[in-house]
Amino acid sequence: MTALALKPRRVLRAPGLLAILAAILVGFALGARDFTTAANLTNIALQSSVLLLLALPMTFVVMTEGLDLSIGAVLSLASVVLAQVVVATGSVSLAVAAGLTVGAALGAVNGILIAFVRIPPFVATLGMLGIAQGLALIVSDGQSITGIPPSVDFVYEGRVLGAPLPILLMIAAYLLMHALLYRTRFGTYVIALGGNREALALAGVNWRVMLILVYALAGACAGFAGLLLTARLNAGHPTAGVGMEFDAIAAVALGGTSFEKGNGWLPGTLLGVLTIGVLHNGLNLLTIPSALQVCCIGLLVILIFLFEALRKETP
Amino acid sequence: MKAPAPAAASLAPPKLELRGICKSFPGVRALDDVSLAIWPGETHMLLGENGAGKSTLIKVLFGAVAADAGEIVFKGKPVKIASPADARALGIAVIFQDFSLVPYLDIAQNIFLGRAFPGRVPGSIDRARLYREAKRVLDMIGFAIDPRESVHRLGVAQQQMVEIAKALSQDARILVMDEPTAALSDRESEQLFAVMARLKADGVAIVYISHRMAEVFRLGDRITVLRDGRRIRSLLPREASPDELVRLMVGRSVDMTYPRQFHAPGEVILDVRGLSAHTGIADINLQVRAREIVGLCGLIGSGRTEVARAIFGADPIASGQVRVFGRIHPGGPEMAVRLGVSLIPESRKAEGLALIRTVGDNLVLAGLPKLFRSGLFRPRAARAAAAAIVRKLGIAAVSLQQVVGTLSGGNQQKVVIGKWLAAEARLFIFDEPTRGIDIGAKAQIFALINELVAAGAGVLMISSEQAEIAHVCDRAYVMRERRIVGELDRASLSEENIVRLGMQQ
Repeated sequence: MTALALKPRRVLRAPGLLAILAAILVGFALGARDFTTAANLTNIALQSSVLLLLALPMTFVVMTEGLDLSIGAVLSLASVVLAQVVVATGSVSLAVAAGLTVGAALGAVNGILIAFVRIPPFVATLGMLGIAQGLALIVSDGQSITGIPPSVDFVYEGRVLGAPLPILLMIAAYLLMHALLYRTRFGTYVIALGGNREALALAGVNWRVMLILVYALAGACAGFAGLLLTARLNAGHPTAGVGMEFDAIAAVALGGTSFEKGNGWLPGTLLGVLTIGVLHNGLNLLTIPSALQVCCIGLLVILIFLFEALRKETP
Repeated sequence: MKAPAPAAASLAPPKLELRGICKSFPGVRALDDVSLAIWPGETHMLLGENGAGKSTLIKVLFGAVAADAGEIVFKGKPVKIASPADARALGIAVIFQDFSLVPYLDIAQNIFLGRAFPGRVPGSIDRARLYREAKRVLDMIGFAIDPRESVHRLGVAQQQMVEIAKALSQDARILVMDEPTAALSDRESEQLFAVMARLKADGVAIVYISHRMAEVFRLGDRITVLRDGRRIRSLLPREASPDELVRLMVGRSVDMTYPRQFHAPGEVILDVRGLSAHTGIADINLQVRAREIVGLCGLIGSGRTEVARAIFGADPIASGQVRVFGRIHPGGPEMAVRLGVSLIPESRKAEGLALIRTVGDNLVLAGLPKLFRSGLFRPRAARAAAAAIVRKLGIAAVSLQQVVGTLSGGNQQKVVIGKWLAAEARLFIFDEPTRGIDIGAKAQIFALINELVAAGAGVLMISSEQAEIAHVCDRAYVMRERRIVGELDRASLSEENIVRLGMQQ
């Protein structure tokens, strides 16, 4: 009865990624000092938490044959809005609500532009990237917003039952999104949005509303990730999210989600996020400049794609 | 106008009646005063050539297209079917040719798409019930498969069965099937017919579109023939013969005023032997001589376009050989152009023209290598070449600077042909050259094709307009199910013969 996504044949979906992740882990374990310490491994998980919160909903978006380029900029904006509100009012819950609202609202605007105005996702979210990034700079006056109360920092540094809170949040976020995609009607519609939108319309489902919800979900997740990011930096920074959309889309692509026909795989995205986290961490330990790290991730995305394409052609 | 109910059925009132349905699209009268009556427990065969209006009629029935005039009567009461949801509420389900399945959902989720059973948690699905119900529906049609299987792993026949299960799960009482056996093997077809018999016994009304004569007589309780958007006749199978049905389907009154001169054919310039391609076409043999117009006909989906693309080199060849002007075509469109072959595709907008560019730009596009052998683009020479073609073909453009997308359909078609003239092509493959253009422009296109032939070129012409093929061509090949099933010479080339060969007997 446990028809979970982890059937044996499904694990083989991303053999290339698993092999590469294993190779990277072994490589760093041998080559980089302190890589295998418990502290460092925890660190990898911590550093991956923000990315996971972006990559999970990005998987949904990509499965609808869409793309969200604005997610990094929305993350920055949510982070500075949250910081401004908490500094001004002292209320953490109000600040978190503000961040979530900003994220969900901008995501919903993306969805409306795509579903109703019929602007291609690439263009609509590229425009939103500019708007959100500009707003983040305006809201923060281009400066870091400091004076974040310790109650916010707790989200990143705190422990519950001995486990770091961000790691617990990651696990919760993954389980929630997995259930949402594979166990609810909404999840079914996400898969159908990319697979056969016409079928969804003929089934009497308002697919436009569903598409808007997908983008709003992505925005809301970026808003929540803004909380983690602010807590981690102990400040709201207007450019902290720059380039995060690249990592998020890369994680989705690494995880074997196709950009066509709603052929996605959420566990793969988790693996993709971990691979990117491990890569950043290990290369940092080896003191490889971050610019070169970005190159490595780009190269990996292309290699995995070639590998999977080759595998499909030679059954 | 009321559908005249044949005597046998006048005992019971029809389940559903379409009365005087009209529907026009820009430039086309798709349905003109069509009436149709459907009785429970009967299979109603819908017959007609390509473009006769069958698809539009189904869409009206399913609420996907709104009729301009006419009414729909359900169990004696007039009803409005404004959306697929309305149709479903009346128990109408349609199985379209292009499936409405989601590839990466499993069978059960596809069957109940949009109607999943709610679980305890809000928004969740009662999965146990979902798979139980799916199994029940699949058992009903005798389809033994795990409902958890993902649809993208299924073959076409299995997908067809899922479509039927989906329709039945909605308690469909009126089931419309558009050429359901087109992709099925004989054995799978038999399975489908068994399911249909069971449904009929259960009182379900079936509307069945088919191009296979044997199915028409085997399955049909009633036959309606459509032609040019009009209902030609409704009759009972015992009143009809295959020849009679063919005669009803054709007999289109096309304006046959385009001039046609026949020339003594020259040497063979296209020689195709044993051609097969991964697109499904198999063992294609055909020849085209200089000064000859050869038709390639058959129903839509019979593989005509695939043959054209394989000859041109747009799709790779699996086996066989294509010789043009005595030389073996090694494949690839670039090589085809260099050998003097041109393909004028069916979808002008998608494949033949750069719509947002100017007439001048489009005309020299394919001829660039021939016009400018040095590789340097010389605007003045390009303009001169384009202007010469505009004069020669009589393209009604304000200037070479006019954007192609703003020309009429006929003039767009001329630009496509002109493009290949600039490339010095001598073998022309036309795919539906007259689709979507008016009668006047059609006559001009045929005059042009005549000129090409008179000047020594050879033409291979794909067309769904059998009357046109019969009138214009020297010879014609007829395709069915991705093979050439017959060749008609000038003497035997008639609309009836094309239709007869094109349908499976």
